[in-house]
Amino acid sequence: MKFMENTKINFMKFKSFGFGLSSVLAFGSIILLLMGVNLGIDFKGGTAIGVSFSEDVSIQEVRGSLKSVSLNDSVVDLSGEEIKYFGSQSDVMIKIKSLDNEPENFGQIVINHLYDSMSAKAPENKNDFILSLGSVSPKVGSELSGKAFWSVVSALVLILFYISVRFEFRFALGAILALVHDVVITLGIFSLTGFEITLSTVAAFLTIVGYSLNDTIVILDRIRENMKSSGTVMFESTINKSINQSLSRTLITSLTTLFVIIVLLVYGGEVIRPFSFTMLVGVIVGTYSSIYIASALLATIYQSSNK
Amino acid sequence: MDSSIRNRLLTILFVFGLGIYALLPSLRYSLMDEEKKSNLSDDQIDYFESRSIKQGLDLKGGIYIVLEVDLPQLIDNLAKNKDNNFNGFLIDLKNEYNNSSSDFFTVFENLADEKELKLPRYFINYGKTKDQIITQLSLQSEDSIKRVIEIIQNRVDQFGVAEPTIQKQGNNRVIVELAGIEDSERARDLLQSTALLELMIVKNVESTNAIIRQIDSIMTASNGNVEQNDQINELFDSSSSSELGFSSLLISVGGNLAIASKDLTALKDILSKEDVKQILEATNSTILTSDSSIKLINEIGEEEEFYTLFHLFNNAELTGGVIEDAQMRLSQAGVTAGQAVVEVEMNSEGSREWARITGANINNRIAIVLDKKVHMAPVIRSQIFGGGTVIEGLDSIEEAEDIAIVLRAGALPVPVTIAEERTVGASLGADSISKGTLSMAIGLLLVVCFIVFFYKMSGLIASFSVMWTLILLLGVLALLEATLTLPGIAGLILTVGMSVDANVIIFERIKEELRNGKSVRSAIDSGYERAIRTIVDANLTTGIAAAVLYQYGSGPIKGFATVLFWGIIVSMFTAIIVTRFVFDFVTTRKNIERLSI
Repeated sequence: MKFMENTKINFMKFKSFGFGLSSVLAFGSIILLLMGVNLGIDFKGGTAIGVSFSEDVSIQEVRGSLKSVSLNDSVVDLSGEEIKYFGSQSDVMIKIKSLDNEPENFGQIVINHLYDSMSAKAPENKNDFILSLGSVSPKVGSELSGKAFWSVVSALVLILFYISVRFEFRFALGAILALVHDVVITLGIFSLTGFEITLSTVAAFLTIVGYSLNDTIVILDRIRENMKSSGTVMFESTINKSINQSLSRTLITSLTTLFVIIVLLVYGGEVIRPFSFTMLVGVIVGTYSSIYIASALLATIYQSSNK
Repeated sequence: MDSSIRNRLLTILFVFGLGIYALLPSLRYSLMDEEKKSNLSDDQIDYFESRSIKQGLDLKGGIYIVLEVDLPQLIDNLAKNKDNNFNGFLIDLKNEYNNSSSDFFTVFENLADEKELKLPRYFINYGKTKDQIITQLSLQSEDSIKRVIEIIQNRVDQFGVAEPTIQKQGNNRVIVELAGIEDSERARDLLQSTALLELMIVKNVESTNAIIRQIDSIMTASNGNVEQNDQINELFDSSSSSELGFSSLLISVGGNLAIASKDLTALKDILSKEDVKQILEATNSTILTSDSSIKLINEIGEEEEFYTLFHLFNNAELTGGVIEDAQMRLSQAGVTAGQAVVEVEMNSEGSREWARITGANINNRIAIVLDKKVHMAPVIRSQIFGGGTVIEGLDSIEEAEDIAIVLRAGALPVPVTIAEERTVGASLGADSISKGTLSMAIGLLLVVCFIVFFYKMSGLIASFSVMWTLILLLGVLALLEATLTLPGIAGLILTVGMSVDANVIIFERIKEELRNGKSVRSAIDSGYERAIRTIVDANLTTGIAAAVLYQYGSGPIKGFATVLFWGIIVSMFTAIIVTRFVFDFVTTRKNIERLSI
């Protein structure tokens, strides 16, 4: 089947537009991120509780029940914490910031409190009531964020090094900037949705890094190949030719990946939803950035260094 | 068939065979119904469990706990001649350590320097210089974490959980994963209970009264004339009653002192006062409360919970170390008939000690204290030989069983705190897995339709290779005994994507070569040749990322990295070697003039 064969689109003509769009998106994302990312308990510590009632409950009802929770030797008011539905109106997720002098089994105490105070709507077996319970001490939280941060940074540095060796430093620069661009914009859009960043979402971001990288390298590889015959004169046309040549591959691959992700988003269930959403945004941004960031930056870098 | 084709065929068949072989136990095990599973022998179950792909806790449900050895507490336990200076240092040490990311002993050393704390004064048993002491203390901490792991292993084994994972993390943490467990509350208590059993003599009534009077006078002294106002406040706020003195909190119940559960905080405050600590230390005694409460009707006719208060000799006569066996039994006779009790048997050394203690303390009371809670305090009527004793006063059969387990497994040398916990209810896990599998299946089906629609026969070959990528990757995971988690599934999806992509890159190249007028044979050859370079570069870059993530990442990220790394290797194999072979095989047998691509 013929699909996008022998296209001759002048991608670089819209280069400035692409840069403009990316700058706006990236800038907006950074502002959104500075305003505050919804970090999950993995990174800042705290307790997250998921419970499943046997019938629909209202958030107010749960909030009311959390007004006074007695811990071992004190009573706390948890009604100000983040409470939201999880999938259906009978499942509720509660996120509690870490307290000073929190008792060891704090999460379980809160679960028991809810179970007892809303017993009319709770299932008979307490084990069916508990969907999930997570608690991370602030110390571990800061360690986990440190680890996640450094693993991503060191991966980027090594990739930069590898591409510099295999291609050129200028290629590597374009590829890495494209990666950072993808992650920042996806993070920005992600923070708009109110999903929280957990270790699983970090995995989704890594997937995007992998995907976007793959996409970028395929185009860069074409450019490298075409440069052998045409040199760096008329560099923009070489880039245009390379993008056009790999266009069908870029689109087919992106479309197949999007199929899987959309299915995952629709049928994958509540736990995996933030993950699938991140992927959806990331794949679209990643495909775009391979053309308009990695390649276009390369064109700009070459132009300025050839002058 | 020429020899190159035959060799390649054999290699491919060998790898496929290996993949299937690795995956077979997982398949058989997951297809088995519950009834068949329950008929398996232990050895068979071990075989299947170890050879199957494990599902992570986020998929299967279960509990993941990171226990942290309380190192400041360990230091406290090891120190001698503690004074105010040292106690202050310890509080600072706890805060400093909790807010820092450095190693505990680095924090310890820096803070000791800063505070000019003379370590030999407190740790003379561990060396004469600062360096010697710190080396010895860190050896002690390593030793205790080893002991903690051993004991937790014992407890988990006796609790009977399938495929538990217990591993050390860093130098003061233990990760415990219990898959498929339902009652997370019970499991947590079992892991965390220090299980320090102490047998302590109860002080006589006179000295107890003396102590209470002394504490009372300290409190009046410290409150001074504020007391008058407090009396008025007390009408509105019962919690301030602690200011009125210690004795006002206590009531007498059947010869014992008791304290209302609402006053436990006040009690804690009083006992943590520096002056009170000193008095207790001077008389070598300690005040503990009972484990279970009694319900009484208070003066305004409401039912209220009370805990019994005990005043004990601070040094334990015997500790849990002498226990040889502990079993849950249902009590046969007496007032406790039908209740669950724990029967404890001591080793010969313990029995001798026990006989001596009981002989020397006839008509005194001895308290059986577990984790600083008094379970019972019977009066010793006669000397006991043979080292047997019974612990009563337990709430349920489960509690008795668990206490028997922790006593058998031994006490933790240091208390542990829960640094991180993740419990996934079985229903949520099952939900994730069924929906995850369903969407993976639908997604794969769509991908296959899409490639076949685009690339016709060649698309079928690509689908074949993608399918084998998945099979081989799962096979590798089974061989590695890896655990599949949600992020791992993300890695699978990325692998499928990259595997499809490799095929697409190859096909597009071949099409390009065909458009340039090459014959089918040479288009395939040069198409592959050119595509391979692209694929290797793209995959190796991602592979580097995966390797780094594996190295530095924690838990879920590590799982993702493992799947991605092997996915890259496997998908390169299927895309470059397997599909190439199929093309070559078809085109050498028939002289094909038009490629269905």
